[in-house]
Amino acid sequence: MNRVNKRKVIDTSLKVITYIASFIAVIILGAILFFVFSRGSKLLSFKILVTDYHSKPYRLETTVSAKGLSFENPHIKDAYFSENFGFAVKDDYTLEGIKTIRFVYIDDNSPLKTTINEQGEKSPFKEGFIFDSTMRAVLEDESTVTIFSRYGAENLVNVLSDAVGIQTANVKSEGGGIRGSIITTLYLIFLTLIIGLPFGILTALYLHEIAPQNKVTNLLRSFIDMLTGVPSIIFGLMGAAVFIPLTSALFSNPDMKRGSVIAGALTLVVIILPVVIKATESALSVVPKSYKEGSLALGATKTQTIFKIMLPNALPGILSGAILSVGRVIGESAALIFAMGTFIGDKISITGRSTSLAVHIWSVMGGEIPNVTLASTIAIIILIVVLALNMSVKVITNRFMNKYK
Amino acid sequence: MFKVENMSLYYGDKMALENINMEIKEKEVTAFIGPSGCGKSSFLRSLNRMNDLIEEAVTTGSIKLKGSNIYDRKYDVIELRTKVGMVFQSPNPFPMSIYENVAYGPKRQGVRNKKVLKEIVERSLKQAALWEEVHDRLHESAMKLSGGQQQRLCIARTLAMEPEVVLMDEPTSALDPIATQKIEDLIRELKNDYTIVIVTHNMQQAARISDKTAFFYLGELIEFDETTKIFSKPKYEQTEKYITGRFG
Amino acid sequence: MDKAKKRNRRIDKIAKNILLFTAILSALFIVLIIVIVALRGFRPFFLSYDGHKVSFFKFITGTRYFAPEYRIGYIIINTMYVVLLSVLVSAPISVLTALFVAKMAPKVLSNILTTTIEVLASIPSIIFGMFGKGYVVILVRNFADKIGIVTAGGQSTLATVIVLSMMIMPTITMLSITAIKSVPEDMEHGSLALGASETQTMFCISLNAAKPGIFAGIILGVGRALGEATAVTMVAGGRGSGPTFSLFSTTRTLTSTILTGIHEANFGSLEYDIRFSIGLVLIVVILVVNIILNAVKKRLGRYYEPS
Repeated sequence: MNRVNKRKVIDTSLKVITYIASFIAVIILGAILFFVFSRGSKLLSFKILVTDYHSKPYRLETTVSAKGLSFENPHIKDAYFSENFGFAVKDDYTLEGIKTIRFVYIDDNSPLKTTINEQGEKSPFKEGFIFDSTMRAVLEDESTVTIFSRYGAENLVNVLSDAVGIQTANVKSEGGGIRGSIITTLYLIFLTLIIGLPFGILTALYLHEIAPQNKVTNLLRSFIDMLTGVPSIIFGLMGAAVFIPLTSALFSNPDMKRGSVIAGALTLVVIILPVVIKATESALSVVPKSYKEGSLALGATKTQTIFKIMLPNALPGILSGAILSVGRVIGESAALIFAMGTFIGDKISITGRSTSLAVHIWSVMGGEIPNVTLASTIAIIILIVVLALNMSVKVITNRFMNKYK
Repeated sequence: MFKVENMSLYYGDKMALENINMEIKEKEVTAFIGPSGCGKSSFLRSLNRMNDLIEEAVTTGSIKLKGSNIYDRKYDVIELRTKVGMVFQSPNPFPMSIYENVAYGPKRQGVRNKKVLKEIVERSLKQAALWEEVHDRLHESAMKLSGGQQQRLCIARTLAMEPEVVLMDEPTSALDPIATQKIEDLIRELKNDYTIVIVTHNMQQAARISDKTAFFYLGELIEFDETTKIFSKPKYEQTEKYITGRFG
Repeated sequence: MDKAKKRNRRIDKIAKNILLFTAILSALFIVLIIVIVALRGFRPFFLSYDGHKVSFFKFITGTRYFAPEYRIGYIIINTMYVVLLSVLVSAPISVLTALFVAKMAPKVLSNILTTTIEVLASIPSIIFGMFGKGYVVILVRNFADKIGIVTAGGQSTLATVIVLSMMIMPTITMLSITAIKSVPEDMEHGSLALGASETQTMFCISLNAAKPGIFAGIILGVGRALGEATAVTMVAGGRGSGPTFSLFSTTRTLTSTILTGIHEANFGSLEYDIRFSIGLVLIVVILVVNIILNAVKKRLGRYYEPS
């Protein structure tokens, strides 16, 4: 019985090895999810979604006077109120995790609201502004005192309570948010779908409904298929060499030579084209032939049949293709780095440069000190959205396939 | 060789075989006949416990192989299958060379010696009447063989294990008449050394090659007797009706 | 009635032409890509940039990549090395996982694993890169410290291989699962009927018969690894010379070279155009590797031709 036992030993060892190997996948996923969620959840808030990335500095040029003024304390929790200047501040952390002082309340009549900044802009202090450097206050006896942000909010208010004016102040609007990138991503999704969906659907309609079964059609198909094997960085090169000059010339805007949202969108169109075409074609092939034949038998033209019968019935499949494309747009990085650039923008426009969420991660992770926290927060958002999208594609595909059973 | 006592087979709640009692003698060809769905294939598969692969299958009663109940908990299924081989309805060669197909069984049992394996392969292919046709291309793919050759390869594969019993589940139903003929001749040769149990839906085949025939109907064993008797003077009306082609 | 028919026919014709037009345009994109990359990519070898011209031979075979010398010979070798290692690491794990899911696991476990793999497959590469730079690199650095090896902060060949393996594992696994599941049950029953154990059947028959499909998965994985840019750039370290085979030294791939420093390059400069040359080389490498691997796949499948 030695041979039997030997075999049993080998069998069991093989089984154990297989079990172990399989759980590596789970471990990897667990590690990635744990990493992303543990690092990124602290920044995850509504605030980060609506804040700009770049903080704008404001430096006072005219002295703010508080002679004889008195304001009512709105009693905000954890905040210190300055009676004479009419504002409340509290100790807080910026989105980047740095300790700072934040303006949580400014009375409508506060003298702070009449400041002018360096550029001569009327830029009243806004709620949400951050004070993280120095302020010089003027006292009764016309001497000045410098207030440092690092001594905290309470100190700021106390010192100012004896002051009659503020001579200089370095404050800034808060940065570190991803509003710009979110809007850019939405723009990209919209533009890419608006251009890419019709393109892909029409191509699929041609291939499936009209094209004759010959060598030329096969050639067309294989050319389109080849697009799926192209690495995204090559798409990026194409975007940089073709779409950037094209859009720059089209909009007569030389600034667009380093990239633009529209150039990025066009590049993405080429990337998602095969996805849309494939999804549409497979949706069309599931539509029962009898629908088409019935329509033609009733005297409808080929065009009418295609657009009134075939297309509407292929809608769920087209929807899947669209959702998959959205997922691709959100996740794409290399191609957009080339076609859109890596400058994180706050003012978003089609002809401007900014980053999508994925490229934002690239930008903050680059360099000597990567901002892993912010990157993880964005990653959480991307992951949740992409997973939700993939799940909905599954649901649609299941329902759709069952419809015709 | 086999002693079947009160054996029944259920697939879930459905009864597939009811109270089968039978003795299968050594070195004979026993044929199972009956209309589709009568349970003959299920019964065949019970003899080497291939039914174990079906989740809802439950077997009661006993089947004794040379005195030991193969459905006993302690009985090693794998060892059973080395003693009781099976040839399937459609030839199912492995995607390997002809040599590797035949050597597969012995290799899994631990035979490593190349010389021994070569001998086993040659012997088995000769016994299966395939050696002449393939001896010069043993390392070619088994998939390139014709249907009939593939089936003989499967037989060779089974014989390589030197089993005591060879079960055959409609082995020629997927083959053309010439290949069928070759296999029937083969079976006649093999019964000198092996016990053969064959399921067939072709009554003429059963009449041609078997010594004993069992007639199954709706999960019951209706009649089991010498082939000549079954086909000339069947005891039961149902047997007669089936044999004369009135149904089935 | 006649007028309507004529109008319908015209509409049909216009519609057909529009559809044909879009289809041809779609098919032309791949041509566009190749032409553009080739056109721009050839320029460094035929034009003079401020008196600089790059010799193609030196480009392809050299061992240093600093401006104005652009030699990517060593980069090609490093790319292949990194991809090879990644496949060697991930293929066995993927295939075993696939065998587990397809044959060994009880249904619940099988579903959990399948979902896990599908989720992994949908994670964008930038997130793998971030995980790599923020975690894997640190692991490598700590490990190297423990065994007394100096690393550039952990960015290394090893980190690159780990990240790439994670990325291509789902691809290989999913295709292998399909391949193993398509092995005919009959064949497996034949093995069991000969007295082989279930485990023996799984490894000697199921895995064996699934070889072509599994290899197809590996080919796809290799393609993905060769073309991966962002994740690799974040963990490789950008080595200027080579080739290097040490696991703990920094490295470079064709893709990371194209991606790095793109913003310092001005449109039309040598620095810019050379990236297209590298892109061209990348395309050729991917094509050649695919052709070779597909030939291997055919050889693997030599026992599967039906009669």
